[in-house]
Amino acid sequence: MLLLTIWEAAYRIDVHWKPFIFPAPSHVLDSMLGMLGIPTGFGERLHPGWPAPLETEPNQPPLAWRIVHSQLIGADIVSAVRLIVGFSISIVLGATLGTAMWRWSALDEFLRPAFLGLQTLPSVCWVPLAVLVFGLNETGILFVLVMGSTFGISISMRDGLQAIPPLYRRAGLMMGAHGWRLYRYVLFPASLPALASSLRQGFSFAWRSLMGAELILAADRQGLGFLLAMGRDNELISQVVAIMIVMVIIGMLADRLAFAPLEKRVHNRFGLGTAG
Amino acid sequence: MFFNNGRSTNPKTPPAAGRLTLDRVCKRFAKSEHAAIQNITLDCRPGEFVVVVGPSGSGKSTLLNIAAGMTRPDSGSASLDGVPITAPGPERAMVFQDHGLFPWLTAAQNVEFGLKMAAVPPSERSDRVADALRMVHLSGSSEKLVHELSGGMRQRVAIARALVMNPAVLLMDEPFASLDAQTRTLLHHQLQNLWGQTQKTILFVTHSVGEAVRLADRIIVFNTRPGRIRKEICVELAHPRVFDSPDINELAKLVRKEIEQEVNRVNALAAEDSWRPEETADLGASADDLGSGI
Repeated sequence: MLLLTIWEAAYRIDVHWKPFIFPAPSHVLDSMLGMLGIPTGFGERLHPGWPAPLETEPNQPPLAWRIVHSQLIGADIVSAVRLIVGFSISIVLGATLGTAMWRWSALDEFLRPAFLGLQTLPSVCWVPLAVLVFGLNETGILFVLVMGSTFGISISMRDGLQAIPPLYRRAGLMMGAHGWRLYRYVLFPASLPALASSLRQGFSFAWRSLMGAELILAADRQGLGFLLAMGRDNELISQVVAIMIVMVIIGMLADRLAFAPLEKRVHNRFGLGTAG
Repeated sequence: MFFNNGRSTNPKTPPAAGRLTLDRVCKRFAKSEHAAIQNITLDCRPGEFVVVVGPSGSGKSTLLNIAAGMTRPDSGSASLDGVPITAPGPERAMVFQDHGLFPWLTAAQNVEFGLKMAAVPPSERSDRVADALRMVHLSGSSEKLVHELSGGMRQRVAIARALVMNPAVLLMDEPFASLDAQTRTLLHHQLQNLWGQTQKTILFVTHSVGEAVRLADRIIVFNTRPGRIRKEICVELAHPRVFDSPDINELAKLVRKEIEQEVNRVNALAAEDSWRPEETADLGASADDLGSGI
């Protein structure tokens, strides 16, 4: 906060810095609120009525309507829908593959090195492949997202199952949990801590992949990553920074509000101490 | 009550079911020089409390796993009331050393688990779970999670989980080995009472002579590498026993004497060089545990 104040103060005192290369916090705020449908004059010179903008367009629709229909909210919704769809696919695919790898060691030996290798591949590297195979469309974006997060989830799911004490399996068998019941009532619940951790990790992979994909596969002109690309193309540095901040905020919020509490709840239930 | 309600510790009419028979059972694990168990023949009468005592690595857990149906013997056969044992099942309930309770379930849900798998109707389930928890004196902790229970309480829940299935035989694999001495004594008392009430056949494995003498009708002393029956000792003392009575201590001394040679051999095996512990005529209480980690 102090840093931001000094930064802003420097702008106000010394006007020789170029705002199109290095924006002030006020420019970024201006841009962010502008994309939310709230025009402000934060970035303007101090004037009577600041931070209201110097010039206002007449006959604007109500504020709530403007926010709901703003560029930023629209992009957020598009990105969120893609994330939910793609991440769900990743979870199902990753958990299935992970379970299969745990169950059949031959499959594990075959897939594990490949998955570990593919995991080191930055997910944006899937973009050219996605463009060639699927074209510049929704499927391509989902493909990049799924590729970016599935392998990690598979590996952690498999490791999580591997780490289940063999005693649980024996206890389950002893009490008559055979076949699918052993999976449903013993092995699946026993793997929940690992699954929760892998979901948390997988989400950050998915989010990063999606942003990368939207940034490059911007042909459908939607999504948060596309707004970032727009900022670049129009040389709007404050928009670029504003979108980056929004990406960080959304990623952190999802982690803090959904995945970290989920992980913590599961770990508490199992008596595994507190997870970070 | 679903348990056999006989209160007498020396039942005049022995229970009809629960004869556990092992016939010339052999098992060798791959990569192992010696057979884990070799030619074991053991017949547990219905309602009998048999304790297998031996050093770790003597194959006594393997024996129990064969009785449980978790491990198939290389040769020989195991049967319960004449029915061959081929797979794990709730009629041969097992209590593990590390309890093996499911941490995602409460104490009551853990006890209920086997009944749920057996598709017992929910109303009957809750009655039987309450009964089983009452038998191990844990009615107040039914809603606790596993990590909220002490070590002794966890073992009691594990015993309740086994008893609730009304098994013909109870298999206990060093169930009290990781507990402190005080808790262990408490659980010896509880187990003795439970056994008196339910008249289950119990096959109990331990490396503690003291534990064996307190609980057993019959003590089977195991040799190690290969695992073989070295000696059978029938304990004639009446139940319930007073654990620090002179009779018990005398018998414990006798059993220790009996296995002195084996203890020394195990101790020698524990050293990788020519170091040997001083051989003492009276092994005393220190020989109570026959070594827990070679």
